[in-house]
Amino acid sequence: MEKPDDDRSSSEGAAASSPLNNRRSAGRWMERPDGAAKAAGKLVYLTDMKKPGMLHGKILRSSYPHARLLEVDVSAASQMPGVHAVLTADDVPGLNGYGIVTQDIPVFCTDRVRHVGDVIAAVAADTAELAAAALSAVRVQYEQLAVIDDPALALAPDAPQLHEGGNVLARTRAAFGDADSAFDSCAVIVEEEYVTPRQLHLYMETEGGLFVPEEDGRLTVYSPTQHGYKDRLQLSRILAMPEESIRVVSSPIGGSFGGKDELNVQPYGALLALYTGRPVKMHNSRRESVRSSIKRHPMRIRMKTGADKDGRIIAHRADILADTGAYATLGREVLMFATEHASGPYRIPNVLIEGLSVFTNNGVAGEFRGFGGNQVIFALEGQIERLADRLGLDAWELRRRNLREADDPGPLGQKIAPTDGARQVWEAALRSPLMTKRGGGAQGEEPWLLRGVGAAIVMHGGGLGYGIPDPAGGRLRLADDGKLEAVFGFEEFGQGVISVLTLLMRDHFGCAGEDIRIVIGDTDTVPHTGSATASRATAMAWQAMQRLAPPFAESMLRKAAELLGCTLDQLETGEGGIWRTADPFPVWDCQSERSSPEACSPSCQTLALTYRQLAAAMAEPLVQETSFDFPVTSSATPAVGSHFLYSYASVVTEVEVDMLTGKVRVLRTDHAVAAGPVVNPMGFLGQIEGGSVMALGFTLTEDVVMEEGRYARQQLDTYMIPTIRDIPRQVCVEAVEQLPEDDPFGPRGVGEIGTVGLAPAVAAAVRNACGSWISRLPIRPEQLIRPYHAVRQHWRGGDIGD
Amino acid sequence: MIETNFRLSCTVNGEPIERLVQPARRLLDLLREDMDLTGTKPGCEAGRCGACMVLVDGQPMNACLMMAYQCEGRSVVTIEGLSGCGQRHASGSHPAESYADEPHPIQRAIVAEGGLQCGYCTPGIVISLAGLYNRTVAPSREQIEEALSGNLCRCTGYEGIIRAAMRASSHPDPTP
Repeated sequence: MEKPDDDRSSSEGAAASSPLNNRRSAGRWMERPDGAAKAAGKLVYLTDMKKPGMLHGKILRSSYPHARLLEVDVSAASQMPGVHAVLTADDVPGLNGYGIVTQDIPVFCTDRVRHVGDVIAAVAADTAELAAAALSAVRVQYEQLAVIDDPALALAPDAPQLHEGGNVLARTRAAFGDADSAFDSCAVIVEEEYVTPRQLHLYMETEGGLFVPEEDGRLTVYSPTQHGYKDRLQLSRILAMPEESIRVVSSPIGGSFGGKDELNVQPYGALLALYTGRPVKMHNSRRESVRSSIKRHPMRIRMKTGADKDGRIIAHRADILADTGAYATLGREVLMFATEHASGPYRIPNVLIEGLSVFTNNGVAGEFRGFGGNQVIFALEGQIERLADRLGLDAWELRRRNLREADDPGPLGQKIAPTDGARQVWEAALRSPLMTKRGGGAQGEEPWLLRGVGAAIVMHGGGLGYGIPDPAGGRLRLADDGKLEAVFGFEEFGQGVISVLTLLMRDHFGCAGEDIRIVIGDTDTVPHTGSATASRATAMAWQAMQRLAPPFAESMLRKAAELLGCTLDQLETGEGGIWRTADPFPVWDCQSERSSPEACSPSCQTLALTYRQLAAAMAEPLVQETSFDFPVTSSATPAVGSHFLYSYASVVTEVEVDMLTGKVRVLRTDHAVAAGPVVNPMGFLGQIEGGSVMALGFTLTEDVVMEEGRYARQQLDTYMIPTIRDIPRQVCVEAVEQLPEDDPFGPRGVGEIGTVGLAPAVAAAVRNACGSWISRLPIRPEQLIRPYHAVRQHWRGGDIGD
Repeated sequence: MIETNFRLSCTVNGEPIERLVQPARRLLDLLREDMDLTGTKPGCEAGRCGACMVLVDGQPMNACLMMAYQCEGRSVVTIEGLSGCGQRHASGSHPAESYADEPHPIQRAIVAEGGLQCGYCTPGIVISLAGLYNRTVAPSREQIEEALSGNLCRCTGYEGIIRAAMRASSHPDPTP
């Protein structure tokens, strides 16, 4: 491995394919502009904020997963000294509900509670301890109702109905050809049911913020979210305040992963602040975060897949049953995404995918990095492995025989932006040294340690999809102090959008880091540019800059040319200001603030005008804005939600299974990601490394176990995410940057795709190591552990058996 | 009324302090609430995530599990003290720009190597590594893993943190 310092001097022009953590591509490795402040502990997160006279807010949540709410008596709590407000449903001036798409989540419950995170009252008091004491003084009478803790129970004919429309949130169906009759002509058919866990986002900063009633009657909300304008809209409905009267400041954020996109504590902080007229601080404990936050949808996926004797997949059926919990949030959209991605990057003539998302009393499931793709790709890639096994074919070769071509339609038959990403990552995987070992299991350092290699391939859509409003945009501004401002409505939750915008500014203007100011995360200052979700921010920032930068540069140069008395083509933007490119050339005189016709030698490169001088000379501030929509398919009648821009990834991994303990250890992972040009190598690498370790938890340890609608794991002592001890000893990330020559869309997103492919790759590797098929996540050691005598027999040369 | 408060005297980031603290006051609250040293983060408040780690007499400790009175006569160094920039107040504004103070080599390395994303766990990670470097000059990957086994990071997958730790230890080759 080369030393990083050597790489930064490497020349411009990225190779089509570059191992990021080895070669640090093309001098673009840039330290995060917010990195030093974060590492110094000096960056003030929104949950660190304080104000004089501030109160502490706390929320009373339901004692039961399902109950009728008979009476809520807040009189005793209200009279406690130091308690300034105890609010219930009667105190909501506007809509008593929220939800990104459907506003079915009660701010405060009125007659019924549907999960243990449901809210009954909220308190503001002088101290957090007093607020907690006041919560315990609120008297609530419940009548318990039967708990639906399994989607199958929800579908029973006599099941209690959780909502007026019944227990089904959404149904989906995607059909091509005739899958059911095509199975008749298959040489082999594999059928399996796959089960995936309820995963916790586990952002390190729990939900919270500061809510400040301003003197002019406005409200300022300092609280993490992935879409400030959406929070503002939702809060305006609840508070019955015009949107313009609410300012949402939403960055920086201590992690989100989709989990903070939906509202959480904001309605309560806002209401308490408005009622008391004082700033209110909210900050969930970890337990309360687990109890109230949305989770990844647990899914039960039944798949039936058939191929001919040559390994061409002819028919594929999937039935997806998702546990969406008590309310809608993005449950329907997650199911739609899962339905779209359940046939992956494969050409299959006969497909039938049916999805069902069902209400239960198991908390609330919603948006989570990967958005339903993680679950179905685990199942689909499991099917490919099983088919290959039945056919006696190499599983990677089987994938090749079925892989999509660049110009093939998307999985829902829609026209998609053509790229050869699927084949690129398929080929990249073969460059992994692990792939030579993929044939059979090998023994580790001890006879009871068995090693195996597995691989998987992923296709993942970016953006919200066809038919869903998905606006984008941005603004460039030459500020009075001479800074080039990039103003975008995105949030910084760690993914590196500040770096992305900084790098794009450098690309377009050749300017230095100190010439740039990135303005994000504040609805009072940023334009509508859509959400920082769905792997879209980098792609949309790039596309916005393509529109914004040329006219903005031209405006600057035009003004500079006017001031300097030269022509446009003699000038270019650069570090510190406007540079001359031709000789002889007039020079800006700082004293007289005028140009003088002084010639310079041809080799002399001169800064003709600083950005500050240019800004000072402007009669009106120079501003360039754009707004457009995330590109969608041009098909005539596409399915709602179907995607147009896709990223592709392959994962190769080697695991070691301890037959005496059943524990799986991932030794190495090699990732290849085809998502167009890499804007920010450090961010790209971090997304794949970090995403795959999040996937490692999904694969091996993470499951928010619930018992009768209650959380059996409420803290980090029982909910185990990977530690530094659990990660692979080696991780390689290769970016395949090549796009078709005429591709106008640039970089695709990589925020989610790193979380998808690891689980099926590990499952395949475990099978190759010890023979056990994995169909349920997280992988349970109980499934892999073997009796001592069997292991002993094995190391004497026998078969270990399944 | 009986005086139940404890008269605490210790140093925080090198400066002597004297305060009356309630017996149940956690070090975490003393730092964050009373002294506005918000670089020390609450993540789980159960000693599992390590986001609130501080150095107590040079040893990394979870400030959520330590009572303020237990610091009597001891030296507490928070992330703010490590970078030599002392104390500041978290009141209102939210700066997004970087600071120009002289950072600790680990802080520099973690920024250079992409060892942080959201940054919420970073102060704890830096403190744990600083504690390690207090004891060990050129730690191995094994020792780095051991030192960081009480710190959770959800963003980076730890890869960038390991690169940073190896770089800060001037290890000749960051591969295992």
